[in-house]
Amino acid sequence: MKIAVLIKQVPVSDSTFRPAENELWIEEGQIQYEMNENDSFALEEALLIKEKRGEGEVVVVCMGPSGRAPRVIREALAKGADRAVHIVEEGPFETDPHQIAHILFESIQSESFDLIFSGLQSVDLGMGQTGVLLGAMLGMSTATLAMSTEIQEDKIRVKRELESGWFQWLTLPLPASVSIQSGINTPRYPSLKGIMGAKKKEIKTINKTDLNLSEGLQKVTRIYNLETDKQTEYIEGDPDVQVARLMDILKSEVKVLGA
Amino acid sequence: MYFSLFEQVILLVFVIFSVSSFTYEIWKRISIIIKGTGTLPIDRIGERCLRFFREVLLQEKVIRERFLPGLMHALVFWGFMAFGVITLDHFVRGFNGRLLGETAYSIYSWVAAPFAVLVIIGILYLAYRRFYLKPKELGKISITSGLVAIFITLLMATYMLTELDLPENIEKLNWWGHSFLILAFLFLIPRSKHLHLVLAPVNIFFRSFTVPDHDTVEIDMEASEEELDSMLSGLTKMSKKQALDIFSCVECGRCTEVCPANRGGGLLDPKHHFILDLKDPMLHSSGVDVLGQINVEAGWECTTCQACTDICPVGNHVEKSDEIRRHQVLVEGQVPQEYQKVFRNLQESGNTEGAFQSPLADTLPDYKPDKDYLLWLGCFARYGLDPDFENSVRSFTKILDEAGVTYGVLTEEMCSGDPANRLGDKLTYQMLMEQNKEQLEGVKKVTSLCPHCVVNLDQEYKKYGEVSYKVEHHTQVISKLIDSKKISVSRSSSEKLTYHDPCNLSRTLDEIDAPRNALNASSSKYFEMEEHGNKTLCCGAGGGLWWKKETKGRTHLVRAQQVVESGAETVATGCNFCFGMMKQGLGPLTPDDQKEIQVKDIADIVAENLVAN
Ligand code: SF4
Ligand code: SF4
Repeated sequence: MKIAVLIKQVPVSDSTFRPAENELWIEEGQIQYEMNENDSFALEEALLIKEKRGEGEVVVVCMGPSGRAPRVIREALAKGADRAVHIVEEGPFETDPHQIAHILFESIQSESFDLIFSGLQSVDLGMGQTGVLLGAMLGMSTATLAMSTEIQEDKIRVKRELESGWFQWLTLPLPASVSIQSGINTPRYPSLKGIMGAKKKEIKTINKTDLNLSEGLQKVTRIYNLETDKQTEYIEGDPDVQVARLMDILKSEVKVLGA
Repeated sequence: MYFSLFEQVILLVFVIFSVSSFTYEIWKRISIIIKGTGTLPIDRIGERCLRFFREVLLQEKVIRERFLPGLMHALVFWGFMAFGVITLDHFVRGFNGRLLGETAYSIYSWVAAPFAVLVIIGILYLAYRRFYLKPKELGKISITSGLVAIFITLLMATYMLTELDLPENIEKLNWWGHSFLILAFLFLIPRSKHLHLVLAPVNIFFRSFTVPDHDTVEIDMEASEEELDSMLSGLTKMSKKQALDIFSCVECGRCTEVCPANRGGGLLDPKHHFILDLKDPMLHSSGVDVLGQINVEAGWECTTCQACTDICPVGNHVEKSDEIRRHQVLVEGQVPQEYQKVFRNLQESGNTEGAFQSPLADTLPDYKPDKDYLLWLGCFARYGLDPDFENSVRSFTKILDEAGVTYGVLTEEMCSGDPANRLGDKLTYQMLMEQNKEQLEGVKKVTSLCPHCVVNLDQEYKKYGEVSYKVEHHTQVISKLIDSKKISVSRSSSEKLTYHDPCNLSRTLDEIDAPRNALNASSSKYFEMEEHGNKTLCCGAGGGLWWKKETKGRTHLVRAQQVVESGAETVATGCNFCFGMMKQGLGPLTPDDQKEIQVKDIADIVAENLVAN
């Protein structure tokens, strides 16, 4: 069984963010990066499947800059992935999930994976579409929000999390692309042997600029901090006057009621 | 009494059987101990001998820790010593000889006879405690203990009978009874906890002077696969001393009784998890490769406070969380998620919080070689793990300023590595240590408010090689400034004040007096809590547990509860983690009708009572 795991390096979510000068992304300087949390569950799920079956290959696929992305790739290899594909993207960073899926498609279509696992969503953009889109492009069956997985010969059985505590069981034919929910397993820590062994594992690099890409479908036009300001108005007068003024504010200033 | 040849042969057979079974069992254990790694320490031999004299011969520690049972134990012990010669003489008689001449024997009897009575008193009390009072810490009732109690009582009784003028045949019967009791006892000793009779004195002699005393783990990133494998497989092997510990344990349960994790309702039971659980695997495998079998969940609960090691009467280094954690991290890769986060933060940004800026450090002077001290902040203060602790740092700098002592902080200070070290990530620890050592090169004097940092910068780093600097805990600096009259303090603090000894300061650094000197100089209402000095109870934050999300028990609340019950208005600490933990615990525990207890650092108390010179 050949499993690809899509991993993304994201800023640690409790960092202090500042928009970059061009307002298209965040200021990168004083930010710590890590493997997207959902992705580390996806990786663990793939490793568990491989270990349980006693055969197979886990390949991590990561798109990111050459300066920092190798850190999460090494971490994944240290945890037990067999090799990696690194799509080098030096920025501006692609934010359109369709375009990202397309880039990934171009990079791995020749590999014929049986399974693709991705994290449910990335903590920085939170689109939650890349895995499904990539699956569709590769002609795979797809599912999202997996809470547990089970391989059955040429199928995968997936428990999906729905709203209000409801679950759904799905059986998909392989090959399939499944996005994984947090909490599905307990991600491991790279052992010393894993860390040392990772040095010898293959990382194939592909330059995003070398790929045959058309224009994306959407792009970020501006990233900015919400401006907050406080205004206080004391509404005086008798109750009728107060109600009239309040309705006026809600309709025409705050615009939460229809005019 | 005359013994026929037939009787002598019978006696000889029994003696040979009993002695060889004893020797075989002892040898079995010694051969396992020899397989342990490292060597048994023999440094500071004078101190070792003195300690042996006090703890073994005088039974000082046993009596101090549990007075009545301790004293009774001492009576039995001293009695055994007194009976050594008598017993030998007894067997020589069986071959129609004498070890002591008639007069010597009767003179010696005057010494031995009273001891026989004392031993009986001692052993009957211990049996009464064991089988009637049944203290929880002793665990399940064991038949051997009962047998041993009966044997010893009968031994003494039969001895006393020999002192009476009995008809010859009764005397002989009594003689045989006494002999069989001794031989049976000899048979039982190595098979039970009574082996401590033989091993505890040896174990006490070899006990380490440094606590905690875990093997260093040196990781060579360039090592070949074979070298790496042999290093990793060494991680689960016990040292000779650790192996000796296991066979010396007397199963008294003192270690579990004092364990904060256990007292807080956790799973950890050091007597079993760190000691007794390993005995059978050692005997079955005839080896020492058993550290991987320590209960993992229990191992993560340990606060590494060393109360267990400190109290053990037979000189065991009880705590083994380091061994099981490093195995989990380096070999198994099984680490609770919250600790994985701490490790990643340490690797990526050099501090536990993953922070890039320290508002506090930015306001303090930079260290330059002409400064008296390098002020080592530590992550807790630097990144405001409890924002209020910043005041305590300022109290300390105020004291230094007042005394005209100059200091500065490192702009690039990294975590000392304490959490990585105690949580078993020796690779990250090594990385931080190397970077810090480089930064500290040429520095002469370091001081810190964090005992965890002090222990690591000093004692722990030294295990990996020389360091150029001396490290003092800030309470030591303050105490010296008071003594040398560089600062004047008035005893004007009138709040009811007590002090919580941090484990790292009291048990590891053995610093009990400096904090008290500072507090007594500033307060007239200072009082001790029941568990104080090196008998202190951990706040619950040690061993990396500050970062633990969920705990089964209430480890972090047991000490805070004691503070509430002590009636103190203010509790002083000498450790930032204790400071933070106390505050978290005291809030919810303080009864509604009671004023909230203030938590302060010793520096705060002294700074509040400074008198301008
Ligand atoms: S070091 Fe402290 S917490 Fe750990 S086992 Fe010993 S007494 Fe318990
Ligand atoms: S390890 Fe020491 S304190 Fe614990 S039960 Fe054994 S002898 Fe007693």
